[in-house]
Amino acid sequence: MKSVKLHSQLSRLVVNSLVFLLLFSLNLSAQEGDAANGEKLFKSTCAACHKLDAKLVGPALKGVTERREQDWLISWIKDSPGMIKSGDKLAIQVFEENNKLPMTQNPQLSDQDIIDILEYTKGEPIASESESVAQEVDPGVERGKKIFKTNCAACHKLEGKLIGPPLLNIGDKYENEWLKLWIKDNVALIASGDKLAKTASEYSPIGMTPFPQLSDEDLDDLLKYLAVGDVKEVAASTATSAKDEEIFNKPGFGVLPTLALTILAFLILVIIVSLTINKKVVEGEESTGSMLKTLFFNPFLRFLAILFFLLLGAWLLFGWLMQIDLNEGYQPIQPIAFSHTVHAGDNKIDCQYCHSSAKNSKTSGIPSANVCMNCHKTITEYKGELFDGHTKEDLDNEIQKIYNAVGWDKDNLKYIEGAVEKPIEWVRIHNLADFAYYNHSQHVTVAGLECQKCHGPVETMHEVRQFSPLTMDWCITCHRETEVDLTENGYYKNIHDQLANKYGVEKVTEAQMGGLECGKCHY
Amino acid sequence: MASNKKYWKSVEELKENSSIVDTLRQNEFVEEIPTDVFLGDKENLEASSTTRRDFLKYVGFTTAAASLAACEGPVVKSIPYVIKPDDIIPGVAEYYATTMADGFDLANVLVKVREGRPIKIEPNKEANGTTNARVQASVLSLYDSLRLKSPKANGTDISWADADLQIISKLNEVKESGLPIAVLTGTCASPSTKKLINNLGETFGTVNHVVYDAVSESAALDAFEAIYGSRALPDYHLEKAEVIVSIGADFLGDWQGGGFDSGYAKGRVPNQGKMSHHIQIESNMTLSGANADKRLMVKPSEQNLALIKLYQAVVKGISTREASPLNDAIQKAATKIKKAGSKAVVITGIQDKNAQLLALAINNAINSEVIDVVVTKNVRKGNDADVAQLITDMNAGKIGAVIINSSNPVYSLPNSTEFVEGLKKVKLSVAFTMQDNETANAVQYALATPHYLESWGDVVIKKGQYSLMQPTIKPLFNTRQFQDALLTWTGSTATYYDFLKETWNTEVLNGTSWNQALHDGVFTSEVVGEVSALEVDVDAAGSELAKIKGSNFELALYTKVGLGDGQMANNPWLQEFPDPITRTSWDNYLTISKADAETIGVVNYNVANGALNGSLVELTVNGVSETLPVFIQPGQAKGSLGLALGYGRTQGLKDEMKTGKNGYQFYKNFNNFQADVTLKVVEGEHEFACVQLQNTLMGRGDIIKEATLEEYNTIDSKEWNKVPMVSLDHNEVEATTVDLWESFDRSMGHHFNLSIDLNACTGCGACVIACHAENNVPVVGKDEIRRSRDMHWLRIDRYYSHEEDFAGDVETKENGTGVLGYKNTMSDLEDPSENPSVAFQPVMCQHCNHAPCETVCPVAATSHGRQGQNQMAYNRCVGTRYCANNCPYKVRRFNWFEYPENDNFDYNMNDDLGKMVLNPDVTVRSRGVMEKCSMCIQMTQATILKAKKEGRPVNTNEFETACSNACSTNAMVFGDINHKEDTVTSLTEDKRAYHLLEHIGTKPNVVYHVKVRNTQEA
Repeated sequence: MKSVKLHSQLSRLVVNSLVFLLLFSLNLSAQEGDAANGEKLFKSTCAACHKLDAKLVGPALKGVTERREQDWLISWIKDSPGMIKSGDKLAIQVFEENNKLPMTQNPQLSDQDIIDILEYTKGEPIASESESVAQEVDPGVERGKKIFKTNCAACHKLEGKLIGPPLLNIGDKYENEWLKLWIKDNVALIASGDKLAKTASEYSPIGMTPFPQLSDEDLDDLLKYLAVGDVKEVAASTATSAKDEEIFNKPGFGVLPTLALTILAFLILVIIVSLTINKKVVEGEESTGSMLKTLFFNPFLRFLAILFFLLLGAWLLFGWLMQIDLNEGYQPIQPIAFSHTVHAGDNKIDCQYCHSSAKNSKTSGIPSANVCMNCHKTITEYKGELFDGHTKEDLDNEIQKIYNAVGWDKDNLKYIEGAVEKPIEWVRIHNLADFAYYNHSQHVTVAGLECQKCHGPVETMHEVRQFSPLTMDWCITCHRETEVDLTENGYYKNIHDQLANKYGVEKVTEAQMGGLECGKCHY
Repeated sequence: MASNKKYWKSVEELKENSSIVDTLRQNEFVEEIPTDVFLGDKENLEASSTTRRDFLKYVGFTTAAASLAACEGPVVKSIPYVIKPDDIIPGVAEYYATTMADGFDLANVLVKVREGRPIKIEPNKEANGTTNARVQASVLSLYDSLRLKSPKANGTDISWADADLQIISKLNEVKESGLPIAVLTGTCASPSTKKLINNLGETFGTVNHVVYDAVSESAALDAFEAIYGSRALPDYHLEKAEVIVSIGADFLGDWQGGGFDSGYAKGRVPNQGKMSHHIQIESNMTLSGANADKRLMVKPSEQNLALIKLYQAVVKGISTREASPLNDAIQKAATKIKKAGSKAVVITGIQDKNAQLLALAINNAINSEVIDVVVTKNVRKGNDADVAQLITDMNAGKIGAVIINSSNPVYSLPNSTEFVEGLKKVKLSVAFTMQDNETANAVQYALATPHYLESWGDVVIKKGQYSLMQPTIKPLFNTRQFQDALLTWTGSTATYYDFLKETWNTEVLNGTSWNQALHDGVFTSEVVGEVSALEVDVDAAGSELAKIKGSNFELALYTKVGLGDGQMANNPWLQEFPDPITRTSWDNYLTISKADAETIGVVNYNVANGALNGSLVELTVNGVSETLPVFIQPGQAKGSLGLALGYGRTQGLKDEMKTGKNGYQFYKNFNNFQADVTLKVVEGEHEFACVQLQNTLMGRGDIIKEATLEEYNTIDSKEWNKVPMVSLDHNEVEATTVDLWESFDRSMGHHFNLSIDLNACTGCGACVIACHAENNVPVVGKDEIRRSRDMHWLRIDRYYSHEEDFAGDVETKENGTGVLGYKNTMSDLEDPSENPSVAFQPVMCQHCNHAPCETVCPVAATSHGRQGQNQMAYNRCVGTRYCANNCPYKVRRFNWFEYPENDNFDYNMNDDLGKMVLNPDVTVRSRGVMEKCSMCIQMTQATILKAKKEGRPVNTNEFETACSNACSTNAMVFGDINHKEDTVTSLTEDKRAYHLLEHIGTKPNVVYHVKVRNTQEA
């Protein structure tokens, strides 16, 4: 009989069992939603328009999964206008139900993200102490607000003077009919010798623009709005959040079975091993002492164990070392609670309005305070939805910080003479290593990339965080995948012709253009 | 044939069996690691309380601590402008046209400004501006931390208002006393400043404006005035010259303000079979001598004779009967001049009015087209007689006040003690100065002035060419311009800017736009008019000149291309800049011929690591003595000694920069030739920081190729530009056809090549400093240079070869038989004091397509780019230095210390102010990495990006590197060889083109052009 050496048997055994172990340790819960992640995403993506338990701009989302199918929801969240266009009946119905306000598209969310969000919407406790105080609003006021924003807001504010006087409750001071005439054509009114008009015109040497295009109905709405002003948002109670956390901080559901299976696999492994060894004994191979003793003293097993721990140690150490100075998610507290959600998201200011050097320079540039003043000369207080636990006073103070920096007197609308300029010390979030050269204009102007490609959905971040890892791997992955458009830019014309002639190639990736060469970024 | 010529770089190489040269050839890192010192000493080791175990513990602990410390990233602040200036985009460089005029160098330049910091000087090519090493380096002097930072009265700080009050009251006192005010300035070519000085006179009585050049050209000015009636210097269009005879004029150096190299080089590149013939008669080996076709070594006093004889032969037609090498050469030169007629020119650097008259007379006689007496130059205006008179008057108490601007007479006057005495006798002494220098400390009021990059101004470098100077940065310190002070003192409330603009609008611009002139940096108005020569008794001048007696030893003072007159002595770039001829930095020294050195018994020798040491001598000239090191200089005329001016400054500069000895103390009567010289050998030795033996090509051949013009015109280029042969399958084939590697397809995109024409390169070194500025190359200091650790990415090798002329050299070579015969012949003729011919060769990374460095890097830190650049990723380099070992061109530099973070290197990079000059687009290298020329990849990438942003192909000749941009002679041309219209494309296909060490098959992207010498005599 051919003798079988113990160690080869054992090694085979170990390999088999490792495979076995590996099989079991695979994560079996791929399609499970992660409510904690969902909560995070909900807060950053949806919370501007939705609440779980009450109507905000959009409908309350609690239990939405019971009302709609998951797949439908995924498509809806990703691209609701697309669905409406495609004629999906349900979609059109939802659209109509919600005052025909279209929902923002969220193509940046993956399916898993959406499943996470939906998971979160399930778990929300039903009862909430806070009652939504969404007031019934006269649609005329809404219209009036819109008219005010488009026509009047350049020179007037509701409260506080700008170029023109404050307009809130202007109806108390003047008759509505007179106001209508004044707004439509104040020049004519003054010319007609109206005394009131004359006094009004003395407010400022700058005459008011006439608005003959506004209909009487428009003006009625406008005046309604001016009588009511902005409806104050009633702050929703934050009491629910503590409860949310309690529920969702419980250990993930998918972990326990995996752990159990792993332990089970290990037990099976032990049994198999002991069985095999017992078999050896039966077969008459040399064996002294008990099975466990054999296991423990077996030099090959010990070697394997040591090797395993060494490799594990090295792997852990390597992993730990590799994350040094990786700052993905770095979200420092800035000197001003500047919200990109408010500026880039709600007000849709183009990124490059403020970061104007991105198209010309290697740096995108932090806007200087005089750029802030372009708008904040007139926007002296925050009237939007409150965020991150800031009160309105807090946020108005944040705007005041710009005035302090440039020396602006917001009440008299002029720069304070002799004021000392105080630069704002922002905390830099994206710190690329000094030895790596990166040029914004190359990517923004030449390649035409969206800022979000690297910086993530900044328009949804109140406080900006580092979205991308900024590792070399991340850079070159993109360079490998990105195809250069050779047809649009005159610079590439020659190369494009040569490629087409010589190789019949129409497209090349950035990497093929030499975008992976060390010297292109390190010099 | 041609390429078999033996080249050598140092006298040491000529010694047979020199162990040092052998060692250097064999072993590049000469010094052994001194392990024996600390491991061999057993007692010491055992006595040590640190056991091996402890040591390991410490190592472990420090490693762990270091890695833990690295875990927490620092918080980086970003501080934007509060109100951003409209024209600044952070990250984008702005260029401003301005003019440098410090009294010694005058140049139209472009200043590269990043975020408000000037970081580099470039020639303003649209204004025909050229730059030399000093102009390139001047940007660093702006960030000199030892500048005078505020006005001082008797050494203590004072406010400008107080200083004004006190000075004005003193000036009024002087006015009442009736004594004149002396205004002592360097060459002042500014019309508006002259106007202001006149205004000063109108307010405070008599003003006596004395112009003083530290290095004087007064004799030439006097002579020109005598013949042409105006005190100016003629211009020379050397590109028109067929024959150039220079007697003691280093016109490729600083003679008459320099700037002649671009014209000279145009005539030196063989074009349709023609190039100029250049004869140089001189004592020291100068740049001009090194570039000459025929060089004669004579003592300074013999230069006078040579000039007289040349005058007699050309103008009078008298030939000397006695036969001597000098006479022969003069006769041949005279024949050449006559043959070339108006295409010839004679220039001289002899500081004697009579000599200058002779030269002008010769040019006049042959009706030379080369000399331009109409559009004259204003680069030197100094008047020696005035200066001497001023000193006398000051001591006699005849001067009421002295106001000094942009001049350091206390340092640079030969009779500075008399001047200092005189200063004590005047009521008021004021110095406007940028540095806290010798003069600033000798006057009552030292008033801080801004650097030219912080100033307004105007300069008329040439007649009709009005240049503007504009500030490119806000003044760094509490400084005020000389002109602003004059305005205040004369009671005007206008600023100098207003005054300047007003003056230009009324007197210069003639209705054209001020803003346009400011943008261009220069406004040119046409100069019309004839200038007729006055009758001067030149013969008498000749006989007067002949009376000057020589002596046994004669001293020839000169200025170095690096330090010039010494104003920028606190500039580490210039201090570390190796002199093109001696390849020595951080020093001045007495150059001496080998024959004289042997006679008086002084030596130069290389110590074990290849560094050079030399004996000391005591030099006495007219009773003034100084101990100086000697440097044995091949090509130095026997009986002559050379000494550079501009060294030996003592005040207002860092200790490291206090190098060399003051040569001005020997500069009696502002004459650069001094007889009455005695030498005495003294004990001791001097350590030079000389790079000449280091980083050689280790004896490998085919480095420099030469041909004569005759060969170039008549013989097939394969003969004089031989392609080396290698054996392939036992057949001799051209090395360029054999390839060990597979090549990439390089026909697409850009493929950069740099072409270097050895004919056009004069060795001036502007490229070296430009490279420093562009690439943040650190300064390492004298000690490190001695250890071969210089960091220059671009070096200019200087090779000597033996024969006086090329034909003779070939003859000698061919007469020698076999290796032994050749060697014997060589040692027979090899007397370095004999006249070597010289070739300059700029060498930087050759960016080999098949680079030997790339294949040996264990971490792939150096790799090849598709655009032809050999790339170096510093962050990947682990410092094995294997690449440097494997580089056949020795162009890689190892960064031994973190120069910017090491207090031992107290140069600009360790200084908050000095750091402002760094180029933010180039990494500052850390310790332990290899660095080298990148072919300015940051510049090529920027050019590409600019084209991409504008959506157009890259323009013809749009690509530049720092060195090619700085090169005023067009010796370096950079471009894309896949772009057929680029100049470099045709240059690479030229019949003179060759690659360095072609036989090893590295396929470099740097192309050299065979040096052609016009050796044909008469």
